[in-house]
Amino acid sequence: MRKFFGHSSRRLKAAIVFPGIGLVLFLLSNRVDELRVYQGANVAVFVVAIISIILLTGYSGQISLGHGALMAVGAYAAVLSQIYWHLPVILTFVVAVLAAAGFGAILGSAAGRLTGPYLAGTTLALAVGLPSLANQFGFLGGEQGLNYDVGLPPAWLGADFTQYKWFFWISALAALIITWLSFNLLGSHYGRNWRALRSNPTAAALMGIHVGRSKVLAFTVSSGLAGLAGALLAMTISLVTPSAFPTSLSFSIVTGAVLAGVTLLTGSIVGAVVLVAIPEITGALATHLGGSEKVTSNLPGLLTSVLLIVAVLLFPNGPQAIMKRTRKSSQ
Amino acid sequence: MFERRRSKRTIFALATLAAGALAVTAIPAQAFNVHTADGVTPTTIKLGITIPLTGSAAPGYNKIPAAMIAYFNYVNDNGGVNGRKIQLVVKDDAYLPTLAVAKTNELILKDKVFAVIGALGTANHIAVSKSVNLGRRGVPDLFLNTGFSGFADAKKYPTTFSLFPSYVMEAKIMGQYLKDKFPGKKLGLIYQADDFGTDALAGFKQAGTNFAVKVSYASGSQSAQTAAGWVSKLKAAGAEVVVMFGVTTASGAALATSAALGYKAQWILGSVGGDATTLKAVGVPAVVLTGAIGASFLPAPTDTSDPYVAFFQGINTKYNGGAVFDNNVLVGMNTAMMTVQALRAAGANPTQKGLVTALESKGSTFASAGLAPLNYAKGVHVGYNGYWFGSYNSSGELKPIGGDYSVYTTDSGAGAIAKSTYVRPALPANGLPTN
Repeated sequence: MRKFFGHSSRRLKAAIVFPGIGLVLFLLSNRVDELRVYQGANVAVFVVAIISIILLTGYSGQISLGHGALMAVGAYAAVLSQIYWHLPVILTFVVAVLAAAGFGAILGSAAGRLTGPYLAGTTLALAVGLPSLANQFGFLGGEQGLNYDVGLPPAWLGADFTQYKWFFWISALAALIITWLSFNLLGSHYGRNWRALRSNPTAAALMGIHVGRSKVLAFTVSSGLAGLAGALLAMTISLVTPSAFPTSLSFSIVTGAVLAGVTLLTGSIVGAVVLVAIPEITGALATHLGGSEKVTSNLPGLLTSVLLIVAVLLFPNGPQAIMKRTRKSSQ
Repeated sequence: MFERRRSKRTIFALATLAAGALAVTAIPAQAFNVHTADGVTPTTIKLGITIPLTGSAAPGYNKIPAAMIAYFNYVNDNGGVNGRKIQLVVKDDAYLPTLAVAKTNELILKDKVFAVIGALGTANHIAVSKSVNLGRRGVPDLFLNTGFSGFADAKKYPTTFSLFPSYVMEAKIMGQYLKDKFPGKKLGLIYQADDFGTDALAGFKQAGTNFAVKVSYASGSQSAQTAAGWVSKLKAAGAEVVVMFGVTTASGAALATSAALGYKAQWILGSVGGDATTLKAVGVPAVVLTGAIGASFLPAPTDTSDPYVAFFQGINTKYNGGAVFDNNVLVGMNTAMMTVQALRAAGANPTQKGLVTALESKGSTFASAGLAPLNYAKGVHVGYNGYWFGSYNSSGELKPIGGDYSVYTTDSGAGAIAKSTYVRPALPANGLPTN
């Protein structure tokens, strides 16, 4: 157990901090308006998706531009298990994780032989091709998709408890649990193996780390998390359809991970907030500036790209790394 | 030393957390609970639309909001609706269901619009209906731009009103047209292998149409290469008349490839894949389109002898910067004109519920450019129910054959297909509704 949960003071800290964050989120969800609650649910979904990239890229050093497709696998697995097996919602999330992890294990076994741009290309092909497979098979519902219904919030929460608040609670809880598990996983010897692997695969192999197996494991865990994010995303729109998982989704979460600083778990919240806020900020900016439709409708893409470039140039390890550095130098 | 600093940091983090929690509880709940206004003030009515302005589906559709605003501005310059000016909030959904839900939420929860008008895209709107749940919120969802038959269910979607005839209706009417005009010819069909195609097959079955060859394609697989496969199948079966019931990129590929391969058949394009300007936008030369047959429920946008078209073209010049006047502009302005009538019908102090009831009771009498009748009634939320057929001329315009706009009408079920005797209401004086 100790191997997984690490240092005891860390465990204590986690035992206080995570329920604390949960409490703040709980109180916040009762105070802000429904739109913010809905956006909060989206932030939580992106937190899970970004963590899946951080585990993969930031720790094991593998690149994936295909996580949108893995999210689709999770979402379809969840909805199919609900339709055909009538599983309760919580178990559909488990199915999403297992299905995407299984898919990721197979993909990872093949992808483990590839590195850098070759791996990026392979996963990108997946992002482009996989979701549209749903149009080929009738039981996947085609473009009109399959209805994914997590149900109304329980009656004991009161009549004022909105559907979006329910979505927020589910996804925020999932994000908290995933963050906590990931902290522990990365502090364990698996996390250390992955870091060794990322820094220098040859040295890692010499130290007795099974490079191939570690890479596949990282891919599997990351895929499972992506699958969960996919199911949560489908929950927020109550529908599983190929167009919910466009190629741009894969790029978005990678952007989010870069903005988060790909090696910082806590940065995932920064990345997720930015991803959710960009469309609204640019919308407001566009109304403020006026101008032609051609300009305003392309602003979100422009802003995301600029942010990505600025992030890579100025703080490749995320804005938090800068804060850490300034704190260190002032001490 | 290290441990001490660490515990200090932990304490600091905890303190911040606790302070944050306190601050949050200290804020009075009312500060965040904005009263849900319904978008109507004494001087304004706020409406919203989500539509693809960017992305693959944007060409063509992105012209609709500007056309709507042009007509609304004209009405506003002439006193508005019961003294209120109409504002239209436009949001780009890039044809993605996730964005459609996010943007509709912004419209309803932040902009607090009175109604959503002219939303577009089947998958997008299924997601919006389920997640945002306009019906439960009581937000009117008017003049939806899709032919998906599912939205006809007024119990499931109590505030949703479609504008287009369903795809089942379109296929039924097309089947009747084939029977009347091409008896004894060998027929071929290309359709999309999803619900869109399923609706089409159901319609053709109702009409009793027998195809010698049916070719299906998966959505997204259409290209010049796959189209060559379709054409060789059609050629082998000797199809003389081919119905193309697919999206524009598919009909474009089919027409261009068959022309390149020298396959001469009489093409009949469904309304989805038959908009001439969109075909042009995806690179189909007009010469390939010439002679093909298409279906529409609006007059041809180039037909200046039509009073509605002539009036809207005037608005287009004055209020829309003289954009190319095509079907999308016509649809936008026509939707705007129907919206103005719906708002007028809802009375001097409109409510969201009143708007829905008004449309049910008076919607079928609205003045509109459509040549097919409007069918709104209590529990009936599908607008037009008919089509006329025309052929594309050498400049790619759809013209009624022999100038004859004969409209066939039907329903989405087993109802008969009939030649319509409907005469649409005359254009209101100066194009300003007085209902």
